[in-house]
Amino acid sequence: MINFRYRLKGTPVHALNPFAKLAWVASIFVLSLLFNHPVYLLLLFLSTLPLVITAQIWRQWVSLMKFTLYLCLAIIIINALVSSHGTHLLWQAPFQLPLVGTPAITLEAIFFGAGMCLRLLAIISAFALLTFTVHPDDIMLAMLKMKLPYKSVLAISLSTRFIPTLIEDAARISDVQRSRGLELDRGRLTQRLKSRMAIIIPLLSNSLDRTVQVAEAMEARAFGSGQKRSFYKEIALKKPDIPALIMGLIPLLLGIFIWWRGMGDYQYYPALARLGFTGLEGTLLALLILSLCLMLPLGLARKRIEVD
Amino acid sequence: MIKIEDFTFYYSGASKPALEEINLEIGDGEFVLVTGPSGGGKSSLCRAVNGLIPHFYGGKVAGQIEVEGRDTLKHPPKELATRVGMVFQDPENQLVATDVEREIAFGLENLAFPRELIARRIEEALDTLGIAGLRHRQLYELSGGEKQKIAIASVLALHPQVLMLDEPTSELDPHSAEEVLAITKRLNDELGITIILIEHRLDRVIQHADRLIVLDGGRVVADGKTREVLSSNYPDIEAIGLGIPPVIRLTHELKSRGFNINKMPLTVEEGQIMLIQVLPKAYARLPRPEAEQNNKPVIEMEKLWHIYPEGNTALQDISLKIGEGELVAIIGRNASGKTTLVKHLNGLLKPTRGTVAVGGIDTEETTTAELARRVGFVFQNPNDHLLADTVAEEIAFSLKNLGFKNTSSRLSRTLDMFKLAEYQSQYPRSLSGGQKQRVALASVVAIQPRILILDEPTRGMEYRLKHELMDFLREYAGQGNTVILVTHDVETVAEYADRVVLLSDGEIMADGSKRQILSQAQLFSPQINRLVQAFTEYGIPDDILTVAELLEIIK
Repeated sequence: MINFRYRLKGTPVHALNPFAKLAWVASIFVLSLLFNHPVYLLLLFLSTLPLVITAQIWRQWVSLMKFTLYLCLAIIIINALVSSHGTHLLWQAPFQLPLVGTPAITLEAIFFGAGMCLRLLAIISAFALLTFTVHPDDIMLAMLKMKLPYKSVLAISLSTRFIPTLIEDAARISDVQRSRGLELDRGRLTQRLKSRMAIIIPLLSNSLDRTVQVAEAMEARAFGSGQKRSFYKEIALKKPDIPALIMGLIPLLLGIFIWWRGMGDYQYYPALARLGFTGLEGTLLALLILSLCLMLPLGLARKRIEVD
Repeated sequence: MIKIEDFTFYYSGASKPALEEINLEIGDGEFVLVTGPSGGGKSSLCRAVNGLIPHFYGGKVAGQIEVEGRDTLKHPPKELATRVGMVFQDPENQLVATDVEREIAFGLENLAFPRELIARRIEEALDTLGIAGLRHRQLYELSGGEKQKIAIASVLALHPQVLMLDEPTSELDPHSAEEVLAITKRLNDELGITIILIEHRLDRVIQHADRLIVLDGGRVVADGKTREVLSSNYPDIEAIGLGIPPVIRLTHELKSRGFNINKMPLTVEEGQIMLIQVLPKAYARLPRPEAEQNNKPVIEMEKLWHIYPEGNTALQDISLKIGEGELVAIIGRNASGKTTLVKHLNGLLKPTRGTVAVGGIDTEETTTAELARRVGFVFQNPNDHLLADTVAEEIAFSLKNLGFKNTSSRLSRTLDMFKLAEYQSQYPRSLSGGQKQRVALASVVAIQPRILILDEPTRGMEYRLKHELMDFLREYAGQGNTVILVTHDVETVAEYADRVVLLSDGEIMADGSKRQILSQAQLFSPQINRLVQAFTEYGIPDDILTVAELLEIIK
């Protein structure tokens, strides 16, 4: 089993300030949504790779990407089947369906699906970086700094804290019920769903019991005592972190500017547009990707400060 | 100082009080052991002292409790947190953060302590418990025992005068349990912290306690200095069905046979001193040698290896035959491979190398569901079993899964056998712990499996229930079935098993009659066996395991 938990590793990426990483991931996220152009999306995705490699989270990243690729396959297939805006017909069904008409697959629809997948890959890759290199409690603190209410943030952090426990519980209960003759993978779909319930019911009931116990334990440790809480760990933005934070935001500003100037858009339908750029657009795009990649040297620099 | 006056409490909707007219005064620096059967009111008493009753658990209250001068009815738990700390049973359910430092900081943060003070308190709490090495660890990496120590540290950081621990060792293996108990003793001795420890297993803790309080039915049935309570209230305690350490039971039996014993021994060492006083009047007779059993094997393991996908070797070269009608205990330290071994018997795990045959069938060639007809498996926590709306449906679940035809006759027979008929239409999860365990067992035994496996069946179980269970298993094995127990409970093994298999690091260290194995394994010897080791020169055999056996030769 691959461990999908945050692990402290002394890499330059881990050394970066959580706010800086948050800003950087937000940049990728927002820009992936703004831009339509497959080259833009591909470059956004690729620009996450140097950090993934440096952060030594390759294994988790790969298995996450494998899962995402399945998702992508589904997206491409479904989009190809339902979208009929394209003009280059690759295949047409010999039958008609009510409401939808004649299913047909067009080149444009497949490309559009692929474009969406690049978007998804870029976003998931960026978020993977965040989850695997920022301590979950730091994410929580960052959310608090952004003035989210403590109790909601705690609820989120508690639910992530109990995910591994839940997985263990599920494995144990599955053993118990299989020993009682339960067959998980036999019968029709309804039968299978029914057998899954034999695991889900005890799992949920156990979790409910657990919730009460956790609440009790928190109460006994002065939770909700009325006064304003203090925080032992602080994710202060220190002077050496400021360049990284700014560097995290620059791509966002630059990207928004590019988008505002009407670039980064791409026409999939009714026929694929040409992929080329004007000189200006190419330069701006190169600048954008460069600014995204500059996070890595800043991490290296930060790491050096830490060591000294 | 804790003062409880005429305190009565009903959980909301309950018709019987959980606590009834409790009057207690607990002074600073006392080490109080609170014991009693489950449902006797032990946990409720603790919850009342730190204000969880009535502030978290609503209900009807009468009387009052004062903790360090604060009335618990007026002050909720969060205002009492710096006076009484509470450690709960399951370490998993009381930790809220992801790493050690933040966990310990949690309570301090709630009270808005400044950062420098929090840092100092964390350091101090870790040092007090001798776990400074864990400081930078993530909680999920820690063992159960380590987590429980973190739970204690996180409570201790609030500097309470009173530390309450509600069965803190029931989820731990014996070794970690000893460590946690030793910590409570040290906190009491060195820091003068008042300790209120709830336990129903007395043998590990009784020597630490200054005072013993016994609760039953929500009332205090005995309260006083540990030795005195054990001497004068013994019949009451025994009637409740508490697990009394063998040394103390022995002393009582001897007293009732006219031996004059002044000081009630609490430990093996004290027991030996006691025994010296009475021995000259005794004579020894060797117990009869046991008949060698030579049963038809139903389980055959040949050079079994199991290596988990992560790469750790859990079992190495296990060759083992178990016959019909045998009652076998598999013992060994935590992570020695006990559970991994038995999971091979119903195909939950398949051998990495070697073979496992059950009733002549290679487990490699069949499924767990297929094996479920002949191999019943009762897991430790009944909550993992229970999924149905009624007890009857719960028991019918396996029968239906396995396609039995005569479900109703089997069902009614099982309900009778386990005295569950009166509960058959109740929701199983709302039953008491002991009853739930019975339902889980019944749902497995309903199939009448030829092989019955139980993983830690007696953990957290009271003495009386334990003996009911073991009597049943004895009888079940007597009918020609094979019963396999995975357990840490050597006292039960000493009384009931035929054969003991000792595992260590995934290998069989010893396999033989219980007498042979338990009298040689220091760490796994029952109390009475450790006691008699000093008396071999008096002619007492060194393989005596139980009180009854010893009494037989001391006439």
